[in-house]
Amino acid sequence: MMSILTIVFSILLRIGIEKFPIFLLTALLVWRFFSIATSMALWSIIGNSPLVTKVYFPRWLLVLSSNLANLIGSSLEFLAFLPLLLFLGMKITFLALFLPLTLIIEFILIAGISLPLAALNVYYRDVSQIWDLALQAGFFLCPIVYDAKLIPEKYFFFYSLNPITRVIQITRKILYYNMLPTLSDFLIPLISGLFLLLIGYLIFCKLESRFAEEL
Amino acid sequence: MNPIVKVENLWKKFRIPHEKRTTLLENLVGMLQILSGKKFTYEEFWALKSVSFTLNPGESLGIIGENGSGKSTLLKIIANILRPDKGSVNVNGRIAPILELGVGFHPDLTVKENILIYGSIMGLKNNEIKKRMDSILQFSGLERFKDAKLKNLSSGMQMRLGFSVAIETNPDIFLIDEALAVGDIEFQHKCIDKFKQFKAEGKTIILVSHALNLIKEFCEKALFLSKGEVISFGEAEAVINEYVKRIQSI
Repeated sequence: MMSILTIVFSILLRIGIEKFPIFLLTALLVWRFFSIATSMALWSIIGNSPLVTKVYFPRWLLVLSSNLANLIGSSLEFLAFLPLLLFLGMKITFLALFLPLTLIIEFILIAGISLPLAALNVYYRDVSQIWDLALQAGFFLCPIVYDAKLIPEKYFFFYSLNPITRVIQITRKILYYNMLPTLSDFLIPLISGLFLLLIGYLIFCKLESRFAEEL
Repeated sequence: MNPIVKVENLWKKFRIPHEKRTTLLENLVGMLQILSGKKFTYEEFWALKSVSFTLNPGESLGIIGENGSGKSTLLKIIANILRPDKGSVNVNGRIAPILELGVGFHPDLTVKENILIYGSIMGLKNNEIKKRMDSILQFSGLERFKDAKLKNLSSGMQMRLGFSVAIETNPDIFLIDEALAVGDIEFQHKCIDKFKQFKAEGKTIILVSHALNLIKEFCEKALFLSKGEVISFGEAEAVINEYVKRIQSI
């Protein structure tokens, strides 16, 4: 995936971003966490239907445990990415210590989105297909294969409403630009993540009551 | 004395759909049709109608009735798996639902690991299960196989294991749905002995079964359901007699 995207965007299209593989990979790892975690969590309730219909326990645990598994997976991916950075001639500074924080912020965002998605998928089985499409669009809505600076000024506000974009920007600052992220870089996605989590949890609780009947 | 289980005026509704509608798209189309004046596309079906009963500590209940009379639905509502539409259920104590054995078993893990998983699903803490590991293995008679993968066990052995874990969780209330017919005769005797011991300790068993003699043996009270309505509730002997009479009169 990385080599395909590198060939297409840096050699064929000549975007001309320095050290494109690293530019790309920092964002791609963030995006992979988001897309894999949400699309796996989508099935967490349906996939465990024997449990849901036979015993009682808080259902959101299923969604959260699926998300946690992906958090661990993604953390390992980032860990494996660090030596690659050195190999590709980047320096790793103390800024890398911010990585766990960004992962946790992204985790909160993911949980907030996974909860309503998993619940909706119980009632409407095409939610997963719709979500797949949304993810494909999302891939290009986030600054993964291009620089966010390319977005025209007047649309930038709407563009940066996307919390995943924010997470990508922080990760890039840390690993690619070697810049110290500001407090608001962290606070904005964190607060929107917590807000999403609250809304997602409320939707989940609303839909949870008929899970056992619908499965 | 506080009742251990109190069920008050319980109603449960299911939907019988008359049109297949599982996707979001189909639902959107359906909504448009309703807006344009088409009737609702599902029928309401009351699985339970105004069910009430009270159990005091130490009393056990047998639930009887023909197929589709709402027995399992009632059990699931008491276990908090289904939510009632009206009415309330109050339970004082920890419930172990045995609606199906071996829920959450994973075929690729060993017997011991499966005991840990199933035990925690049944609401035990990790160290509590570890403490009881030996007695669970002993009761199931599977000590030799404790490190074998579950998929290599016969289905009867898997059921025995599930039952042993469920029994060892030591709850205040047992919910059992036809699960007693597990294993060979020897194991069944073992289970019945264990349940007698539970009763002697003053614990509650709620049993859904068609085996009337089992209910007579274990339960002081019985509840006779028909089409979601309580036909009678009271002393087990009397309720069972009424049930038998009703069946014979049909």
